[in-house]
Amino acid sequence: MQQTEPTAARTPDAVKVVKTHGLPAIPFCIATAESPGVAFVGMSDFAVHRIDLGADKPEASPIGEARHGSYVTGIVRVGGTIVSGGYDGALIWWDAGTGSVVRRVEGAHAKWIRRLALSPDGTRVASVADDMRTRLWDVATGGCVADWGDNDVKTPHGYPSMLYAVAFSPDGRFLATGSKTGLVLVRDAASGSIAGRLETPVMYTWDPKARNHSIGGIRSLAFSSDATLLAVGGMGKVGNIDHLEGASRIELFEWGNQSRRAEIEDTKYKGLVEALRFGPGDGWLVAAGGDNGGFVSVYATSDGRLLAQEKVGNHIHDVALASDGASLVAVGHQQISTVTL
Amino acid sequence: MHADHEPRGTDTRPLDAATAPPITRPDAGISRRRLLSAVGAAAPLVADMSAIGMLRSPALAAELRKQERRVILLWLAGGASQFETWDPKPGVKTGGPFRAIPTDVPGIHISELLPGLATRMQHTAIIRSLNTKIADHGTAAELMECGRRNDPSVRFPDIGAIVARELGRLESTVPDYVSLYTSTEGRRKGTSGFLGARYSPMFLSESMTPPNILRLETITDVDHRDRAALRDALARRFTAESRSLAVDSHLSAYQRVQGMMASADLFDIGREPESVRARYGTTQFGEQCLIARRLVEAGVPFVKVARAWWDSHGQNFETHQELCADLDHCMSALLDDLRTRGLLEHTLVITLGEFGRTPGINASLGRDHFASAWSCSLSGAGVRGGVAYGKTDKEGHTVVEGEASAGDLFATILASLGIDPGHEYMLGSRPVPLADFGSEPITEVLA
Repeated sequence: MQQTEPTAARTPDAVKVVKTHGLPAIPFCIATAESPGVAFVGMSDFAVHRIDLGADKPEASPIGEARHGSYVTGIVRVGGTIVSGGYDGALIWWDAGTGSVVRRVEGAHAKWIRRLALSPDGTRVASVADDMRTRLWDVATGGCVADWGDNDVKTPHGYPSMLYAVAFSPDGRFLATGSKTGLVLVRDAASGSIAGRLETPVMYTWDPKARNHSIGGIRSLAFSSDATLLAVGGMGKVGNIDHLEGASRIELFEWGNQSRRAEIEDTKYKGLVEALRFGPGDGWLVAAGGDNGGFVSVYATSDGRLLAQEKVGNHIHDVALASDGASLVAVGHQQISTVTL
Repeated sequence: MHADHEPRGTDTRPLDAATAPPITRPDAGISRRRLLSAVGAAAPLVADMSAIGMLRSPALAAELRKQERRVILLWLAGGASQFETWDPKPGVKTGGPFRAIPTDVPGIHISELLPGLATRMQHTAIIRSLNTKIADHGTAAELMECGRRNDPSVRFPDIGAIVARELGRLESTVPDYVSLYTSTEGRRKGTSGFLGARYSPMFLSESMTPPNILRLETITDVDHRDRAALRDALARRFTAESRSLAVDSHLSAYQRVQGMMASADLFDIGREPESVRARYGTTQFGEQCLIARRLVEAGVPFVKVARAWWDSHGQNFETHQELCADLDHCMSALLDDLRTRGLLEHTLVITLGEFGRTPGINASLGRDHFASAWSCSLSGAGVRGGVAYGKTDKEGHTVVEGEASAGDLFATILASLGIDPGHEYMLGSRPVPLADFGSEPITEVLA
């Protein structure tokens, strides 16, 4: 992505879709490359793709011959190495340049890997999965260096739970995870001890009467740069759980004192908040997700006030925000879009 | 499929006196129901009957076998995905994220979401080639329940009512047709159509116990029985002087009410050992499956247990992780329990909904309604286990082998129970076959 002049005090007042390209499959996760304008994307065809967004007609090309055994849902880049995780429970280390597999860890988790997060120093990858484990992996060796539980494997109603979201704090001290039933655990990333425990029950809808199953869950997490604020994204209570018709929802916590600073619900752009990022200076927060359609919204972190928003193609699964906060790349259902803020 | 069932007969038995259209009176030989009544009354003599050769009569032997048959329909309301259950397509664009796993029958793979049922495939036949064309909930549910589209001039009975009529016994003290549908979405009571109210289901929606069937506390048991005896005596005197269908129906209704009052315990799973309850689990569906087993064990011919709601337009994969876990666990427990008790060979367990779900995955990661190429399963009585019948194309868009209609499935279910699908009810002068005109049983899945 093109970088613009850093302006810490800059606050977006508009969201604009610059361009959108179709993709042959569903992209679930994105990591930017070292080269400007290039992205790596994990998709529903079980492959990791390279996309040159600067090309006249950007196309997704698998970076190598290897494949996951299912959807690729987590991806991080460390220098010239990519680490991907998927619903097959495997982690794959790739050479970003050649596409060759450096390392493959089968059975990294017993169930679907939902997301990966890279520690700020680039030495650790965190993975969360539906086995309700949070694991840390040594980027250099591929060894599992920590394995934490503390999430119930079943929902209160007896069904398999899910662990959807994970994020490191920018200083690397903390690691937050979010579950289907709305539990956020903030851990000391070195010891694994639980430093904070937050509940967001509105994000989990259990329908005992009409449809007898559930929907929702925490789908995104982000720390502010000083790690005092934690944003949690998902969906509000849903009437008809056949559809993603709940209000998109963000809860903004001063997690150290268990205080909820803002609750944001948007019924104009409904559905799941799949990605959250703090802008430079922490004065604003960008959220992306959707129901069938996608959206990008920007909120003030002081009070949760809406600053700008726009419909962006189809349901968005992940974004990569430029370090200057002026643009992002969003991957949505069979689409990739460049958006300016 | 083959049309090799027995020659089709015409059923001139009386339909429900209150609701049925005019019918032709019986005039041809002994009716099945009269035969069964006679057999039932002489049950202690069956051994002697065998000794004197009566059971060598093919018709009687078939009736006795049929009489033992029961059905448990697990109604997957809202439409389960065939990709995430019986017809997985891993690795193709439409296939979704789940793997296919091998079963205990070589060559048959099903979704990894059904690991328990994969180890019980020897008892199950999968039909992967349903093309039922209708993809809106109400009309499709009616089609699959009745095996044909409704006719403006005729209200057809559903499969439960037909089985109740064909396999129920007049002297039975348990209901013939019980339907449990607790969720509110897509709730359907079921219909006995032109068979009349006599074959309507005992419908349990708000609770798992029939309401208002317990004796009032203000009446003692002695009083209750005395009142019944007096009513019977008066009725017998009345019918001795003036016999009519309406009076017979009235008497029958009282007898059935008494039977249902006596059968209240069947709905009380607290009477099951804790170990049995634990196997079914604590979900509502599990408890209802256990009730279904108790009912068929007591002689109820048809029990429907609805598990709603599979209509996963959004988050299809998350939804199926929950619902398939429930289905897999509870149906596995049910099959095991039936088998252990020697009931599985007499009990047909069906999984069916109104339709399947689209090959295409929408932007909400959902699948929408789809009736062109989808699946169901039949286990137990009358079924050739370990069979996967029919085939869809590589991405699951169309049926490429063994296409089966709703009528064909209906005929198959009837045939597996020993009921001739071509047998006809007479509605006035109009013959109505049990299975729709032109439908044929899928003999490849029949034992």
